Amino acid sequence: MIPEQFGRVGVLMLFALSFPALPLIVSQLFYRLRIRPEHPDPVKNATYECGVESEGSAWGQFNARYYLFALGFVIFDVEVVFLYPWAVNHAGLALGALVKAAVFIGVLAFGLAYAWRRGALEWR
Amino acid sequence: MSDLNFDYALLIPEFILVGTAILIIMADLFRKELGLGRLVLPAIAALGTIAAGAASLAYIDDVDDFANVIAIDNYTTFFRVLFTVVLLVVVVSGYEYVERNIRHTGEFYALLLLSTVGAIYMAGARELLTAYISIELLSFSLYVAVSLAKTNPRSAEAGLKYVLLGGVASAMLLYGMSLIYGTAGSTQYSEIAAAFSGGTSEYGFALLLGLVLLIAGLGFKASAVPFHMWTPDAYEGAPLPITAYLSATSKAATFALLLRIFAGPLLPVIDQWQWMMATIAVMTMVGGNLIALQQTNIKRLLAYSSIGQVGYMLMAITTISDASASALLVHVAGYLITNLAVFSAVIAFHNRTGKEELDDFAGLAETNPYLAMVLTAGMFSLAGMPLLAGFVTKFILFQAAASGGYLWLATVAVIASTISLYYYLQVIRRMYLLEPARGESGRWRLSPAGYIATGTLTAGVFLVGIYAGPLFTVADRAARVLALS
Repeated sequence: MIPEQFGRVGVLMLFALSFPALPLIVSQLFYRLRIRPEHPDPVKNATYECGVESEGSAWGQFNARYYLFALGFVIFDVEVVFLYPWAVNHAGLALGALVKAAVFIGVLAFGLAYAWRRGALEWR
Repeated sequence: MSDLNFDYALLIPEFILVGTAILIIMADLFRKELGLGRLVLPAIAALGTIAAGAASLAYIDDVDDFANVIAIDNYTTFFRVLFTVVLLVVVVSGYEYVERNIRHTGEFYALLLLSTVGAIYMAGARELLTAYISIELLSFSLYVAVSLAKTNPRSAEAGLKYVLLGGVASAMLLYGMSLIYGTAGSTQYSEIAAAFSGGTSEYGFALLLGLVLLIAGLGFKASAVPFHMWTPDAYEGAPLPITAYLSATSKAATFALLLRIFAGPLLPVIDQWQWMMATIAVMTMVGGNLIALQQTNIKRLLAYSSIGQVGYMLMAITTISDASASALLVHVAGYLITNLAVFSAVIAFHNRTGKEELDDFAGLAETNPYLAMVLTAGMFSLAGMPLLAGFVTKFILFQAAASGGYLWLATVAVIASTISLYYYLQVIRRMYLLEPARGESGRWRLSPAGYIATGTLTAGVFLVGIYAGPLFTVADRAARVLALS
């Protein structure tokens, strides 16, 4: 039972791997057979062909202040995800569901009050 | 869904703990406006803990569960009381240390209270995911707590090591749980047991891999060799009361969970995990006690000593039976009392001197004979000397292992225990036989809280050692819930 399930996943994985690998192999093959010309230039070799030009390497230092905001954002982002099913079904739910949602929001509000009071929301 | 039991009254002790934690954070946030003194936060924490412990006594002999995920029975009650007592001891013996060395005192107490909730649910869980979430609640609180001494780089280093290795362990644990769910078709302990009783030949490798990952993940949390690397660093870097808490609640909670899982859902497949558990038990006993021989820092020494103790406890899981389950509970309780006695003495010593190397204990018998007596009793108890808690609890633990058909394991345990006597005696030798450092030979006294904590715990060490009957009865009643033969 188990090996069979893993086998199916394995087939999918082979397919997923061949998807990016095949064009690279074919391209290299065409180059060797002198079907494809080779004329590299800086614009062609750039990481992104369109959009904002990349600058520097990804190993640069980020400002540590961002992480507090990122944390706060993630918490409230996830909160909304949890509240969504509750809000959609709200009409059919008993009073208990309202109380539970209120407790849930209350705990998060407490967290927000804590972050605010500790000065995590100020740009210092 | 409608037949689930959503009786919130079953969880009152944990509501009290969480409420106390929120109250403490609030009080800490508005400390200046309210004009609160420095004793208010520990007082709230202590009162909330006592209330939670007292409330859990109302559930004695209950056989109930909350929504089929948390069992409320004598086993849970046993650990509820045990963990609240540990928390109370850590608060009382640690508040002076916290006041001096930690800036965020509110967070300190709140995190301890929340992690105790996690520890209680680890003991009470009867479903794999609930168990996992409880472990994470305990671990996350402790990751932060370990690095709370922000100004100390060692504390930050310890916190980072603990969180990285703990994260790897959690991932392994979760993967192991998913494989067990895959083979058994349920995360409920009772249904896993039923599924495995019907034969497991068709699962073969998946089940074995699941067991290996589960044991590795939980071994990490319990700091069994070879998953113990984080222990000495985390113990050394953490603030002392947190070290005491790590060695007590964190360990006991992991064993509460181990015992419930391996005595319940995984009992039908005992043939597949018994040899792993025996191997790890031997490595932990021998490794922990041998490495402890060359430590020079009291926290690292106690870290390796606690690893050694974990080995003895793993032995009880290996030879799982009614007798060894109850012996394990007795040993956990006795070990907690002894270890907390030692740690509250070390905290009191650190409050006075700010030092924690073994050599700093030289001549303590001269400068503070009382503290030297407490430490000696604690060390002898950890080594397993008669008249003290360690002897009784180790004796029945080894006896249970021997009568469970693992005489060779019990023999290794006795040898390891004898080796451990050497490094415990090294501490005692320094205190009694060496002269105090020059200029530090004056007598000094502990604070009242220090006397209360060390005095009560030392009395507990002697009480368990001499009159252990009541503890045996309580542990028997708790272990009976597991329904082992």
